[in-house]
Formats: sequence, C-alpha cells, structure tokens
Amino acid sequence: MKQDYALELCALSRTFTLKRGLFSKPGEIKAVDNVSLRVAKGETLGLVGESGCGKSTLAKMLLGLLAPTSGNVLLHGQEIDPRQRRARARQIQPIFQDPYSSLNPRRTVADIVGVPLRIHQVGSRVEQQRLVRETLDLVGMPERTHQQYPNQLSGGQRQRVAIARALVLRPDILVCDEPTSALDVSVQAQILNLLMDLKAKFGLTYFFISHDLGVVEHLVDRVAVMHRGAIVELGTREQIFARPEHPYTRALLASALSPEPGLGIPEVHTPEGIAA
Amino acid sequence: MNVDDKFLLDVKNLRVDLPTERGLLHAVRGIDFQVRRGEMLCLVGESGCGKSMTSLALMGLLPRKAQRSADHIRFDGIDLLGLPEREMNALRGARMAMVFQEPMTSLNPSYTLGDQLCEALQAHRPSTSAQARERAVYLLERAGVPQAADRLRQYPHQLSGGLRQRVMIAMALMCGPDLIIADEPTTALDVTIQAQILRLIRELQREFGTAVVFITHDLGVVARIADRVAVMYAGEIVETAPVAELFARPSHPYTRGLLSCIPVRGKTLPGSRLQAIPGVVPSLIGPVSGCAFANRCGEAREACAQTPPQVELNSQHLVRCVAARPSHMYSEAA
Repeated sequence: MKQDYALELCALSRTFTLKRGLFSKPGEIKAVDNVSLRVAKGETLGLVGESGCGKSTLAKMLLGLLAPTSGNVLLHGQEIDPRQRRARARQIQPIFQDPYSSLNPRRTVADIVGVPLRIHQVGSRVEQQRLVRETLDLVGMPERTHQQYPNQLSGGQRQRVAIARALVLRPDILVCDEPTSALDVSVQAQILNLLMDLKAKFGLTYFFISHDLGVVEHLVDRVAVMHRGAIVELGTREQIFARPEHPYTRALLASALSPEPGLGIPEVHTPEGIAA
Repeated sequence: MNVDDKFLLDVKNLRVDLPTERGLLHAVRGIDFQVRRGEMLCLVGESGCGKSMTSLALMGLLPRKAQRSADHIRFDGIDLLGLPEREMNALRGARMAMVFQEPMTSLNPSYTLGDQLCEALQAHRPSTSAQARERAVYLLERAGVPQAADRLRQYPHQLSGGLRQRVMIAMALMCGPDLIIADEPTTALDVTIQAQILRLIRELQREFGTAVVFITHDLGVVARIADRVAVMYAGEIVETAPVAELFARPSHPYTRGLLSCIPVRGKTLPGSRLQAIPGVVPSLIGPVSGCAFANRCGEAREACAQTPPQVELNSQHLVRCVAARPSHMYSEAA
C-alpha cells in the first residue's frame, strides 16, 4: 500500500551568493544542499543541527517563504505552485521561536488569531469570532486575555497565541522552528504538553526543528541530523539516540548536558575542530 | 589571617530596586550568599529571577537608576558598598572580572584583540607592551585559541562566536583575578562549542584557583560545572546546596519542579506528559509578601502567606520554605 506522505522534500537546495568585494568573484554558500525527506501523515519529524546549518532556510522553503534554487516540496503528494501561497497556508503553518517578535504588538490577541481567517475569508464575521474563541480556548488562553495586547502576556502565553494563530485555519502540518527555545524551562514543559495534546486531537504532522536534544527525544518519531546544509543522518528516535552512526551526530549527543551531576563535562571533538 | 578570609565574597541582604513606570520593581529581594576562594558557585534561575541584576550589583555595573542596598558586600574583606568609584575601578577588571553572554557586543569592534587584551592588563598593572603581549598570547593559548600570536592583529568580527568567547575568557584572566563573574557565558553558543567552553572555564578555574560565580538558567550546565548551587526565584535565593546534594535531594518545591519538568534521557518516557509548573512568575513590582512561589506550588498552605523561614537541612543545605525539614527527618521516599 502506498503510504500517505504529508510532506515530501525532493532534492531541495538553496544557494546564497555572497558579495566578497568589488573586484573579487562572488562566493556561494549552499545553505541547504540536496535535502530529500519524507514525513508521513501524523508523524513528528525532528530536525536537529547547530546554528547556521540551514535548518531555518529549510523551514522557510517548506512554508513557501523562500524559493528553492532547485528541487521541490510536495504537500500530500502535490506540488504547490509558488504563486499559490494561500492554498499552501491552509495546509502548512509555522510556529516561530520568538513569540516576542512574531506577534503584532498593536493588535489584540483575538485580532492576531483572526487575521488568517480574514485573509482567507473563512465564514462570516460571527463565525470567525467563534472560531477564534474556540481556538484560543484550545490552547489554554482564558477569555479575559482575548482582548489583551501581546505586551501584557508572558512568554508562554505569547507562544500559545502563536500556536492558536497557526491552528486557526486547521492546517494539518505545523513547522515548529525552535518553539520553546526562548521560553523558561517551567513554561517549556507547558508548551510541549500542549503540542502533544494538539497532535493527539487533530492528528497533526509536525516538522519540529530544535537544537535541544532532550526535547527532540521526548517529542519526535524520527530524527534528521543536519550539518552544513546536508542531512548527515536520518533514523528513528531509537536509532539516532541509541546507535548514532555519523561522527557529527555522536558529537551532538555527547555535548548534550543532562541535569545529572558527577558526569563531568564531556570532551567533544567537532568535525571542524576547536576553531569552530 | 582574619576570620573574613574564610570567604572571598560574602554578600548579606543584597537588594536591587528598579524604578519603573508602574512602580518600584524589586529585582533582588534580600539575598545572602558566600563564595570561597577557588569555588564555582552557580546562580541558577529563570528569566527575571534577578540573577543578572545580582551579578551587576556585585560588579557595581547596575543601570544608573537602579538602587542597590545591602548589609554588606565583602570582597576579600573590603566592603564594596561604600567604596569610592576610583577604588572600585581599581578592583574591577583586576581582582574581579566579568564574562558576559554576548561575546559579539562585549568586545570593541574597532580595536584589535591585541589592543583590547593588553589594555586589560596595562590599565591595572605597570607593564611594558611586550610583557602585555606575551601574557595575552599565553592566555589565548591556554584558552585554546589557535595561532594565538597572529590573532592579536585581528578584529572581533573576524572570529566565530566560540572563539570570541575564548578571547573574553582570556581577557578576564589578564590580571589574574580572584573572582570571575560569568553571566550566561555559553548561552549564545552551539552545544558542541558550549561543552568546549565549559571545559575550558573549569580547567582554568582549577589551574588559576579563581573563584567563579557562574550564572545560568540551564540545569544541565549547573549539574556538570558547579561546586555549589544557589537557586533563585522571584528575586530570592530559595535553596542553596552543594551540587550533588541539590540534585539528589532538591528540597524547595520550585527546585523540584524545575528538575522534573525537563525531559531527561533514559529517565523520562518519550511522549509522556511533562510535569509543568503551572502559572507564571509573579510581578515583582510593588510590595511582595509571603512566599513568592506559593501561587504555583502544589504544597502551598496557610503559613505560606508569611515570609518563609530559612531552614537549615544541614550545614551546607539551606531552604527557604515552610515545608522543608532537616534531612535526618526526610524519608527516602521524599
């Protein structure tokens, strides 16, 4: 039986050109280099790697915010015309890292969450209001906060609003780009629990980008390890965490510091060596 | 040797208040702690708990409008409280140095690394340029910077984040300080680089016998680097203990909450619900009474409306909670 893939990345690449100087040849950076990945419906795929490895560039291409240099992205087996941003937005939505900069400070919570409905002209005004209330309720934002502005909310509440905005069109794929990295650990747990609840409720597919291996291991089914624009290792959670093959994956796992005293600070040799 | 020499740093009842539009913000609310010579004390807590304000208060680098008060802040027997600015300047950078989170912003972009490193020494110690450069090269090498001698001519933007932080550490060590205050020194770095920098700090701290106040929000880092830990919440130190003791017997409900809400490999079942701490940190604007954690605490009781007592579980382990009991009364089940 043919498996239903929610998301397929086929040989996706993105190159940026760098101007070096007036007379020198422009350089090229392969931010994403020939990445092919398939995410099954209802699966959570974790993408791990360090800053500058191309994770966020990849996420932007999934969302249609950045055109690939080559390769393409399929949603449910269908290529999306890059001009049809709206059709794509109904199926795939982002949650970004920083809930401080990703919410419009001049709009109320209910307004922010309602924007996608207005853009996509979903239902009547009354229906839109009902959907907004329902969605905010779903992410645990009490009624009294709906007319507040982002600066009146805590970091965790802001991220709940960002999740509500992503969910209000009821997409089936969420691209979560470091969704808890800007939050305190006590709040991080609340948001991770919420993401797990929402997945169970709506059968969501998550493309989960994080540098925190503890969080990744907790949440995902499969892991893709990205290094310098390429996927260097792909496997189930079990495989990656128990039997990592690639030296870079091993270095990443070795440098994750679990809160267990007495283990000391690991000696890590990155492929780049000490100058990295 | 007098009695004060037992502690390099002895802070008693430190308070920091910041005037805001909505009233006085009590960022640090009367904390006591001590650091021994050569000891690594971790101040751990979440954003807004007052840990950075504490470090700035110690260095005399608070924002101008902030108000600092304390019974005393003794550094090697000298009370920093009433110290004239000129004498504070002589201490700062020489006997107490600081490493900040952002190596991008704490190095001057328009001077070479050599200029900045040498200035750190020459501002405090009479020395020739050649001596300063020699020490700079030595410390850069010790901090794991490759081709140290050539680097002196480079500018900060030519270095990666990890290298910049190594340079910052070398700079902090230029005068051979007794105390380094490191405020989230590895938070902006990637995990593999973080591990390297932490090892470096630990090695140099042992080699030079420098005391370090290490400020972080990351319990993984705390577990691996600390000798002793002070947990901060809402401007107070709620628990202090040696690192092994703290992780084995966390006794403040907040410490326990923090430890149980992080997924730990091999201990937390993947996909299981995490034990989140409900609610949010209270506002520290205006008067705060009783235990600041009570509104999020599963063990809160009537007595929590009063200022919680400092309970001494043993001579090293202090907890600010009405529910805490000395360790001999603790059952293993706890």
